Amino acid sequence: MRVTQSMIASHSLRNISQSYGRISASLEQMSSGKKISKPSDDPVIAQRGMYYRANLNEITQYNRNLSEAFLWMDNSEAAMEQANSNLQRIRELVVQASSDTNTVEDRLAIAKEIDQLKADLVEVANTKVSERYMFNGTNVTEPPVAIDDAGNVTVTAADTAYLVEVSRGSQLKVNANLNALLGQGLFDTISEISAELTGNDTDLDALLADLDGHMSAFSAERSDLGARYNRLELLESRIQYQEDLSAKALSDNEDIDLEKIITDYSNQKAVHEAALTVGSNLIQRSLVDFLR
Amino acid sequence: MTSTFHGLETAKRGLVAQQTALSVVGHNIANANTLGYSRQRVNQTAGAAYPSPGLNRAQMAGQLGTGVQAESIQRIRDHFLDAQYRNESSKLGYYGTAHNVMTEIEGVMNELDDTGLANSIDTFWQSLQDLAANSVNAGAKAIVRERGIALAGTFNYLSESLQMVRSNLESELQVTVKEINGLLEGIDNLNKQIDLVEPNGALPNDLYDARDNLIDELSGKLSIKVEYVSNGGNASAQAAGTAVIHFLNGTESTTTLVDKAGYSVISVTQAGDDSAVDTVIIGDSAIAASDFVSKGKLLAMMEGYGYMDADGNVKGEVTDMMQELDQMAFIFATEFNKVHKAGLSVNEISYGNTDTLFFSEEDGGSEPADAKGFAGRIQVADAIIDSIDNLATATTSSPIKGDGANVLNLANVIYAEFNYKDAGGNDSPTVEKSSLIGYLQKVIGEMGGKTQTADRLSSNSETLLQSVLDKRSSVSGVSLDEEMTNLVQFQQAYNASARMVTLLDECLDRIINGLGLGGR
Repeated sequence: MRVTQSMIASHSLRNISQSYGRISASLEQMSSGKKISKPSDDPVIAQRGMYYRANLNEITQYNRNLSEAFLWMDNSEAAMEQANSNLQRIRELVVQASSDTNTVEDRLAIAKEIDQLKADLVEVANTKVSERYMFNGTNVTEPPVAIDDAGNVTVTAADTAYLVEVSRGSQLKVNANLNALLGQGLFDTISEISAELTGNDTDLDALLADLDGHMSAFSAERSDLGARYNRLELLESRIQYQEDLSAKALSDNEDIDLEKIITDYSNQKAVHEAALTVGSNLIQRSLVDFLR
Repeated sequence: MTSTFHGLETAKRGLVAQQTALSVVGHNIANANTLGYSRQRVNQTAGAAYPSPGLNRAQMAGQLGTGVQAESIQRIRDHFLDAQYRNESSKLGYYGTAHNVMTEIEGVMNELDDTGLANSIDTFWQSLQDLAANSVNAGAKAIVRERGIALAGTFNYLSESLQMVRSNLESELQVTVKEINGLLEGIDNLNKQIDLVEPNGALPNDLYDARDNLIDELSGKLSIKVEYVSNGGNASAQAAGTAVIHFLNGTESTTTLVDKAGYSVISVTQAGDDSAVDTVIIGDSAIAASDFVSKGKLLAMMEGYGYMDADGNVKGEVTDMMQELDQMAFIFATEFNKVHKAGLSVNEISYGNTDTLFFSEEDGGSEPADAKGFAGRIQVADAIIDSIDNLATATTSSPIKGDGANVLNLANVIYAEFNYKDAGGNDSPTVEKSSLIGYLQKVIGEMGGKTQTADRLSSNSETLLQSVLDKRSSVSGVSLDEEMTNLVQFQQAYNASARMVTLLDECLDRIINGLGLGGR
């Protein structure tokens, strides 16, 4: 084949620009840290990357939703702990008041304390977390329990579930049912106890049995919340595991292998320099240089 | 008997012929880097022998040569390689342009970073999830509104950017048509100049090169077939003649672009709302855009910009992508609005159900009416902009202000599967359904695949074109080494002929001045 100067020139130019192109691609990968910079570099990586990124965003969001769930459950638990000690105290006082050794004044004092504890229970039932009533189902803008000046308590709590989505399509109820915890019945019983004591009536056995009934309902609801809290903790560790997996998949898919890129880059650089040197020697030589 | 000065004449012919050859070498060296230049050679032939046969020929020992003559100056060119080059050039023109178009679209729809549509959808969903967990929080509501505006804004931005790409393509398409007409006119002009020269027996080599350059350039824009028709007269055997250029639509040639009579002007007509390319008119014949398959830049521009297919629908890479966006925006907005209208906002609970929209047409108040161009018009409805309390957070089953059940329903619209392929949203077992994100992933994946294919095909045809170009350059290119060798060769031949003149001069000197004294 006949070879001309312009062929050699255009060949070396093409080869040099190709090797320059490869170097530029390596540099781009190194500086961005990503294998691809546009979908057409590798449509499969691009499409998978979109999927993994959406997936990671989703899991991150569910992880954030979990903190909302924890907020509710932790606050509910704290409120219930307080309610529980109040109820225990009421029971103690009722038992104490049942004794015939008490004077009328003693009973009146006990009744007063029970009234105070009742008012405190109302406060507990109206606990708010970040401006929302926790024990009124989804009706978070309205207080579930009202108490008038005479001490009459009205419970209007909704028993709807306050749901937080914890994974696609799966929701966890994060609130406790006030009607089971501190329902109208309980407040009525406490009011009756107080009334009996004020009336100096010592026959409190029936009311004590009622109170015990309400307290066991309270415990049942509380352990129900405890069980859901356990589930929440399980979910949290699972979601964090998923988040790790997802982040790893995303990284495996599109992040560069730095060692490999650097090795490739060094090779390409050596080839490029050789091409430049050879090209500069080759192009300027022709017979013209050797004729006198 | 030959003439006394026969030898001098022979030597003179030698001098003239070598000088011609030296001039041609000089011309070649000067044009070593001229684009499309073919090296030229002097065809030297021995002069007619003396005496020529005949009854009254001179009686001699035999025929005596009369030296050399420069018979013609011919360019070295292989027409087979030209045909190959033009074939590959059409393919490169087509795939290269198609790749450029796809790269433009890809530049707009680059979903790999955190600024794309996918990210807007994700953050919108996240804001809804945050609101669902805390549905009375005014801050969370305001964020949903802002993210909604950002999502609509992303749709608008992408739609506008694609529209921009499309209008750039339109002007480039028109420029391409103009370029083609310019080339055709240039080829026609050169044909006419060549027609003036050839019948005289000369070879207009540099005009041939200029014409071949134009034909090469034309082949990148349209598929063509070239035929040569003799110009008659006293044309040399090596004369190329008039180039007749046939337009190739696929493999059949239906129309002549350039012939002896002149050239056909090419133009395109546009029709419809999208002013898509409707017909390509070449001279007197019109070709429907859907039947136009002539590989080259023009076809790729048409396919990028948009043309009318056989059913009268607009097809084209940019218009297809715009349509996908419109479909996504329209169907998502419609479905989102359905859920939003079904829910109850704080205001609706207080003042009665008004079925508020979340996304609306450009006017801010009306329902999405037409999918066409909707991505450019989608907006968050004025009612939501005016008050975040118009956000339908509650469901009708528990119409209380604190209820956030509908927010989850709204968030689920993003992951719910719909038929995004069809603006009618028709549901049948034969259509595929996908979520908004899933559909976007599919669209981006397809776009990436198309761009990659166009890239591969264009670099393939570039390689092939390069190899044909190498072959052509191997035949027609100027080699400086070769020219220098020729230079030495012709110079020596010239010197030798000059020496011959000196020798004959000495011979004649001997006869005229040194032989006897007669006539003195």
